[in-house]
Amino acid sequence: MSVISSAEFDAINEAYQAPLVDTSAQVLLPTDVSEAAPEVSSAIDQTTESVAPPARPDQNVEVTRPQPPEPLDQPEIVTVIPDQPKPPQPTTTDLPVTAPTAAPRPADRVAPEAVAPPEEDAIVDEQTQESVSLADTGQKTEKQEQVAKAPEAATTEIITEAKERPSGAPSSSPRPRARPPESEVAKPQPTQAAEQETVDTSSVQDALAQAMEAKPYAPLGPPMTSGETDAFRISVQACWVVDVGSEAANVTVTVAMSLDRDGKVDDNSLKLLASEGGSESAANTAFRAARRAILRCQKDGYKLPVEKYDHWRDIEITFNPEEMRTR
Amino acid sequence: MFRFLILTMFWITATVAHAAPLRIEIKNGVIEPLPFAAPYFVAENSAANQLAEDLVTVISQDLVGTGLFREIPQSAFISGITSFASPIQYADWKAINAQALLAGAVSVEGGSVTVKFRVYDVFANQELGAGLKFSGTKDGWRRIAHKVADVVYSRITGESGYFDSRVVFVAESGSKGQRRKRLAIMDYDGANVTYLTGADDIVLAPRFSPTGDRVLYTSYETGFPRIYVMDVGTAQRRVLQDAQGTMSFAPRFAPDGETIVYSLEQGGNTDIYSMTLASGQSRRLTSDASIETAPSFSPDGSQIVFESDRSGSQQLYIMSANGGAAKRISFGDGRYGTPVWSPRGDMIAFTKQSKGRFHIGVMRTDGSEERLLTASFLDEGPTWSPNGRVIMFTRETQGVTGKANLYSVDISGRNLKPVPTASGGSDPAWSPLGK
Amino acid sequence: MKNRYRVVLIISALALAACSNNKPGSYLDGSAGTTGSGFEAGSASDPASPAYFQQTVGDRVYFAVDQATVDGAAQATLQAQADWLMANSEYSMTIEGHADEQGTREYNLALGARRANAVREFLTSRGVSGDRLQTVSYGKERPAELCSADSCYSLNRRAVSVLNNVNF
Repeated sequence: MSVISSAEFDAINEAYQAPLVDTSAQVLLPTDVSEAAPEVSSAIDQTTESVAPPARPDQNVEVTRPQPPEPLDQPEIVTVIPDQPKPPQPTTTDLPVTAPTAAPRPADRVAPEAVAPPEEDAIVDEQTQESVSLADTGQKTEKQEQVAKAPEAATTEIITEAKERPSGAPSSSPRPRARPPESEVAKPQPTQAAEQETVDTSSVQDALAQAMEAKPYAPLGPPMTSGETDAFRISVQACWVVDVGSEAANVTVTVAMSLDRDGKVDDNSLKLLASEGGSESAANTAFRAARRAILRCQKDGYKLPVEKYDHWRDIEITFNPEEMRTR
Repeated sequence: MFRFLILTMFWITATVAHAAPLRIEIKNGVIEPLPFAAPYFVAENSAANQLAEDLVTVISQDLVGTGLFREIPQSAFISGITSFASPIQYADWKAINAQALLAGAVSVEGGSVTVKFRVYDVFANQELGAGLKFSGTKDGWRRIAHKVADVVYSRITGESGYFDSRVVFVAESGSKGQRRKRLAIMDYDGANVTYLTGADDIVLAPRFSPTGDRVLYTSYETGFPRIYVMDVGTAQRRVLQDAQGTMSFAPRFAPDGETIVYSLEQGGNTDIYSMTLASGQSRRLTSDASIETAPSFSPDGSQIVFESDRSGSQQLYIMSANGGAAKRISFGDGRYGTPVWSPRGDMIAFTKQSKGRFHIGVMRTDGSEERLLTASFLDEGPTWSPNGRVIMFTRETQGVTGKANLYSVDISGRNLKPVPTASGGSDPAWSPLGK
Repeated sequence: MKNRYRVVLIISALALAACSNNKPGSYLDGSAGTTGSGFEAGSASDPASPAYFQQTVGDRVYFAVDQATVDGAAQATLQAQADWLMANSEYSMTIEGHADEQGTREYNLALGARRANAVREFLTSRGVSGDRLQTVSYGKERPAELCSADSCYSLNRRAVSVLNNVNF
């Protein structure tokens, strides 16, 4: 779903216009100032006497509620991975563009046709539909080509990936998924282990380069196609509501989550990994909007290929409202 | 080589069972109002029955009026809130796509009202913030509703609300050639209008003090435009500047509430002065032969933005609150006036005239990122809501039957709509948030 | 007595019509008003009457958009005003500056003041004593013409000279 037009937005608002307040009953007849004074002072009495200061927590009513999500209270998570979202440029449509530099020969071969259209999509997001369909047609050939090409790319891939390693550090790859807090804190250590392993698996990584920016680990099963990741992205963004006039519209957040095989999100796994721009309060708001998007659009579970489960068991989504702000 | 890699792959498969996370970037969301559900509050005694409905009506109007929220009608509810203490059936609210839920209860004892409420993030299956309790007078029930709406708004958007606020403005009546103007105060949504002056003399551009207890304005009571300060509670006023051969207008409070800035005209030249209210001592801040007027303080009181035609046309300038060198910040094609500093401190709203049209616009305090929010025959005089997200202004229609009315627009340029007044209005000024 | 009363009535009516709250201040020299001889006092044919000032001398001058410069036509009118004031020293005058609606409120107040002051300076340069002249600006608050076209705007960009004389 694309951004609705201003006219459509207005149309939505028209339907819910609040009825105009009838002020006629309140209007005083013209009088001189002295007669008006009592009315004014009673208006002020109302306002000054009426309401107790709001910030009093409710002490009398007990309601049990689940623990709030931990990440919002753990500043170290933000500091540990501050630059994670940026360097890999995790736009699925951008991947084919960066892949050539990462691994020139395999990339050219792995997705020759699929690469070109997504490049166009990278410029105009509304045309993701096109890329999906184009990629779909090229799926089968892609897979075969990926497997075939992998060995040739081995040597070159290592160097490039090593360069990308620090920035593209896998957040949770070496560890069993599902325990997000520990995995996030422990990320730096697994990263080094990952580096060595990745060198060996670089050839297999090439095949995945088109679908995933994260290089390091050996995913099981065939990799995600750009069509599949695009479909997932589209299904989440349809529920991502951006309040363009707010301070949160200046904030880019990256959210991590884990899903079960049915594509349902594990609520406890939803974490704020990083945020950029804006105050802490704005970042929290942006995170909550991102979380709502993920939880609302899953319905009975995101439609993702079960046979590739290991590729999408853990997902990190960066929500970047930069292009949506009215500038 | 190939065999080696296959072996490596198997080894990796054996030793490493997990995949790297799938990384995706989303840059295109939707802009749409957030659907919320606000069932009528639980009336904890029968005296509260009417208020249980009325409170929710005003709260919903507040939220829907921002353009950021959409109310799900009560008829669509699957379950309701029959007791404030019962747990929420999140599935029922998810089923109707309510993303936020407001549950509350109200009781009335004599002239006093007590309201309790909780806000829920439905799809996260949890309460959003802590429950709160407000108490107030029965007559002031609208203000309680506005305060509840402010809490809901701030918990969901992360920013403070603006519903518990008032607007002072010039209420207008009569035809274009015989306009009668009088000062009036109302709730921001148009309710509870009271008049502060009669309509015998022209009154212009009232402005609130930082605490909302006084109003500065310009009046022709003496036959000349002069600035006055009025106490809102008593409607008592006094003139602040009345030297013969001069005129004064465009007054505004400094954030400290003790100093004001204004324009003084003498010998055909208009400059900006500051005055300490207690002593009445004035100090000249600009001394150009050009017109300097419409000053407005930054929220920290250190700077003043104003308009001047020293360059040959009306433009915006910023100077220190003590006067001195001024820096121009408007550079677009057209004339700029009536600058007002946002309470957030980061933006300045203004009126721009260009190619025969008027616009309300905003820009950063260095003049960059200029954006026009409206366009019409005559829009002017923006004022900021207390949270810096909404701008109210005057829009006048053209022709012999032209009339002025108040309008508001979101800082994103969306949700432009009229503010209801009895017979027209101009020169609105928004109060700070109620205490 | 009857004539003077009528003159005072007309002057008061004129003053009220033009500017309802104009207070005379201390600009008057206190001399009693006198009527000329031979004419119907107070009528427009009486060259000493305010009606004559208004209709024959011309009580208003006009300005270009955003300008306060007294152009040739305005100067001619103002010269005649100056002559009249010199000949009728019992009057003081309030010069009202106005602007059309194509501008913001405060700026138009200041612009109207510029225009009124420009007229005042011209008159004093022609010998009228400054303490007989006071200025006020109405900005865009009191348009003479109501349409939103230059045919009306050009008539609203004006300075109007209003005679005051309430001493008896």
